[in-house]
Amino acid sequence: MSVAPMSTTVREAASPKRQAKRVIWRRMLMRLIGVLPGVAFLVLWQWASGRYIRAIYVSRPTDIAVRLYQAIASGEILPDLVTTGEELVLGYVIGVAMGIVGGYALARAPRLAAVFEPYVMAFYGVPKIALAPLFIIWFGIGIWSKVALAAVMVFFLVFYNVYMGVRTVDRELVNLTMIMGASESQLTRHVYLPAAAPFVIMGMRMAIPYSVIGVIVGEFTSSVQGLGLFISQASADYDPAGVFAGIAILLLFVFVANAGATRLERRLLRWRPAHQESMQQIP
Amino acid sequence: MTTKGGIDLANDPRPLGPVGEGRSRARDEAIVSPVLAFENIIQDFRSPQGDGALRVLDGISFDVKPGQFTAVVGPSGCGKSTLLQMAAGLLFPTFGSVHYQGQKITTVNRSIGFVPQQAQLLPWKTLRENVELSLVLRHVAAKEREQRVREILAAVGLSGFENHYPHQLSGGMQKRASIARTLIYAPAVVLMDEPFGALDAQTRMIMQNDLQTLWARQGTTILFVTHDLTEAILLADNVILLGRQPTRLKADIAVPLERPRNVFQPFHTAGFAELYDEVWTIFQSEIGRPAALTNVG
Repeated sequence: MSVAPMSTTVREAASPKRQAKRVIWRRMLMRLIGVLPGVAFLVLWQWASGRYIRAIYVSRPTDIAVRLYQAIASGEILPDLVTTGEELVLGYVIGVAMGIVGGYALARAPRLAAVFEPYVMAFYGVPKIALAPLFIIWFGIGIWSKVALAAVMVFFLVFYNVYMGVRTVDRELVNLTMIMGASESQLTRHVYLPAAAPFVIMGMRMAIPYSVIGVIVGEFTSSVQGLGLFISQASADYDPAGVFAGIAILLLFVFVANAGATRLERRLLRWRPAHQESMQQIP
Repeated sequence: MTTKGGIDLANDPRPLGPVGEGRSRARDEAIVSPVLAFENIIQDFRSPQGDGALRVLDGISFDVKPGQFTAVVGPSGCGKSTLLQMAAGLLFPTFGSVHYQGQKITTVNRSIGFVPQQAQLLPWKTLRENVELSLVLRHVAAKEREQRVREILAAVGLSGFENHYPHQLSGGMQKRASIARTLIYAPAVVLMDEPFGALDAQTRMIMQNDLQTLWARQGTTILFVTHDLTEAILLADNVILLGRQPTRLKADIAVPLERPRNVFQPFHTAGFAELYDEVWTIFQSEIGRPAALTNVG
């Protein structure tokens, strides 16, 4: 969390309590200012809708809020929400796990990497969305085709970050720890993994929106339940408020996941000097 | 393998090339067996043009005796750090061999300690975690670890900073921590690669003085690489003087100065000036001239 540097006069320095209070005040003020552009956008949207743009195209914030409330209160959207949530969590976790294991293995085994890197590169180039119909044939129209699509999208991002992270570990740190008596598994635990942690976390952060894309595209393609289906049905029914309600829930998912990633980052990377902290911090 | 009467060249442990002065001298005095023995080390690196080999070390032989402080001095680029890499088992000479306690080094040498040029603490570990790492790797019980960390941190003057991360420590403190984490597992030999080169002049003198005290207390063997003549003479029992590339051993000089030595005012130490002049006379001819490049095929 960045706080603007404070001008400390002698009087202020003399009372640390007052200074702490000021810091909290400033932080709250910054948050308030941060919310303003969003609020302005919503007000503009509300005002312009029906006046300059037809409401059938863009709906309006109040309608969306009402639609969202209806969908949740009536329980209409709950099964979709649960299904999509499951797909997201499973796809993300599987993709991240495979990415970490694969990236680490290839980085530590240069010969293996020499053989497999071109293949991984080739697969990386394939537009993953094009795999959606294939996955539906393979895994059915249930949750697993969406889990697979999300996992594949997440995998490559995490894979490349971990691969690069482990390969750029300072060789001297590895040698020194080896001289101190570390076995291969101890090297992994004390040197390679912590050194790669910033890259792992960056990959995990970047992968969050991609897992959502994977799941929603899968659901668009063919599904029996899920927010993607909810959105595409609302769209087919000329219900823009419904479309936006679905998108709002997806946004919430991303928001929550990002907050989780930020907490994880703070915990795992607390050893880093302050100026190295990630610029992108969503509270 | 039967080679009747003849010499089995492939298995003959004796070096074929020239034998340096240091080695022959050590043989004459062979009362204590050396803890580290460099035997006719030749090291070629691929030349920058890629059209041959650049001979960096050209037949270096010397011994490191247990409990002694040996300093290796040479002009920059002469390959003195390369010798340490070999003693650590991180690099193997093109020809010749390094022996540790009589055994030829063929893999990473886990019996030694290494203090690198930069402190190289693990940035994701606190000072305590860094210093106790070697004990954790050896599965030493937590209680004993705590005790030993407390002792060694007190010895290097870092008590109270246990929970700081490396970036929160000054350069001198990081260097102390780097030495502490090496001494904590009491390695038979400590290799030091220009450990004080990156420090400011005042911090360096203080560190030199502290190292002298620590060494006197711990009684460990130290092989210390530096380009600083004063530092070498002030700290060492023995100064190995290397020439310029392709590097040969120029001299192996005993330093009979009384201990503890005054590192802050070296010229007040009786005998220092004469010794310095002697070493300088040999060293003078080796610096200031560009290193000659030799193509060896």
